[in-house]
Amino acid sequence: MIEIKNVSKWFGDFQVLKDINETIKKGATVVICGPSGSGKSTLLRCINGLEPYQKGEIIVDGISLSDPKTNLYKLRQKIGMVFQRFELYPHMTVLKNITLAPMKVLKKSKKEAEKKAMELLERVGIPDKANEYPANLSGGQQQRVAIARSLAMEPEYMLFDEPTSALDPEMINEVLEVMIDLAKEGMTMVVVTHEMGFAREVADEIIFMDEGQIVERGTDEEFFTNPKHERTKLFLSQILV
Amino acid sequence: MFDAVIRNFGFLMGGFGVTLQLTACALAGGITLGMIVGLGRIARNKWIYQPVTLYVNFIRNIPLILVIFWFYFVMPIIAGRPLNPFISAVISFIVFEATYFGEIFRAGYQSISVDLIHAAYSTGLTYSQTARYILIPIAFRRMLPSLITQSIITFQDTSLAFVIGLQEFVRRASIVDNLEVRSIQLYGFVGIVFFIFCFIGSKISLHFEEKGRRTGVL
Repeated sequence: MIEIKNVSKWFGDFQVLKDINETIKKGATVVICGPSGSGKSTLLRCINGLEPYQKGEIIVDGISLSDPKTNLYKLRQKIGMVFQRFELYPHMTVLKNITLAPMKVLKKSKKEAEKKAMELLERVGIPDKANEYPANLSGGQQQRVAIARSLAMEPEYMLFDEPTSALDPEMINEVLEVMIDLAKEGMTMVVVTHEMGFAREVADEIIFMDEGQIVERGTDEEFFTNPKHERTKLFLSQILV
Repeated sequence: MFDAVIRNFGFLMGGFGVTLQLTACALAGGITLGMIVGLGRIARNKWIYQPVTLYVNFIRNIPLILVIFWFYFVMPIIAGRPLNPFISAVISFIVFEATYFGEIFRAGYQSISVDLIHAAYSTGLTYSQTARYILIPIAFRRMLPSLITQSIITFQDTSLAFVIGLQEFVRRASIVDNLEVRSIQLYGFVGIVFFIFCFIGSKISLHFEEKGRRTGVL
């Protein structure tokens, strides 16, 4: 379970997160949407300790991130993350991208790590790309490798930061399908996205953020059919053409 | 026309051997230390960043020959006994070249997106693992042409070690010249040898630059 309690964060004088409260239960899929600059990505980065926050507390499975005794490297092993621009290691093959952390962090043998990597590549539908370099893959394929790389650590939580917004339209679905399967298998996911079709299908809760605040939250049907806040209505009217 | 060179060929090339050894030690030490100096220059911890930056700025703003002299005269005081000129020269070059290699690595590290580093962290890799498997290899590949260029400069710079009496290539040419008085051919020969090596080096650098541009992998 991830508990976010009264979290505030500043970049210099600018407050990016304002008193955020949210609880993400095991197995739930939470979708965060909102205009750019609203603090969504920053919030996501706070959850696995990639960005510090100045006020409040984030607790993952009972462990507080802001506790100086917390080993963030260790905590991150169970929180996978997928980025907008894939961020595959450009100097390594697809297989090495996936096996690096299991071998170096979990001390798995090369054979064991590669076996697992091939299973994951099978699962995301591109086992034939194992020995390619990322630059030779399409955006959709790169993002699926990035998901496989995260899953190789067998995380309990997955964070997605606009995973489809850098993709050509025809490649969005191949990535979303992988994510939908993952959600249906019970992975706990926090997804920053504007893909409302995805949100409708798998989200247990949808959060709308604006100017560093959670403006509105709800389960998918009430969120889409009956948004309470003016800003949510405006936002939805802009993205649901 | 190269009579003096031919008569003393073994002696001269022995000096060139010392030059090559000095270059090899300076590069091995300078590049390794440079990788770490570069990391210090992007460190967020001011206790690391400030001293490293002071070191880099200080050394880069004084002439190499002073660094060589300084180590030659100061090291015996610290060590309590005279150092041989080769070791003294190696230390001076490592300390000097590491600042230049460090700045090349810093530029390489800064060309890597913050999210790529975040991606490595998010799989549980530690800082030192991320540096070793991600930052350093990528920076090394991206900066290879600059690293080769700086290596050529280091190779040329080693001739300055003659000021502390190290019998490298230039020093030996001057010893032969004192006996034979054939300055033009002796220093001409030294120049040709340096030119050939550096020219090959710069061609290699160009090759990697074009290769990097062509593939666009990094």
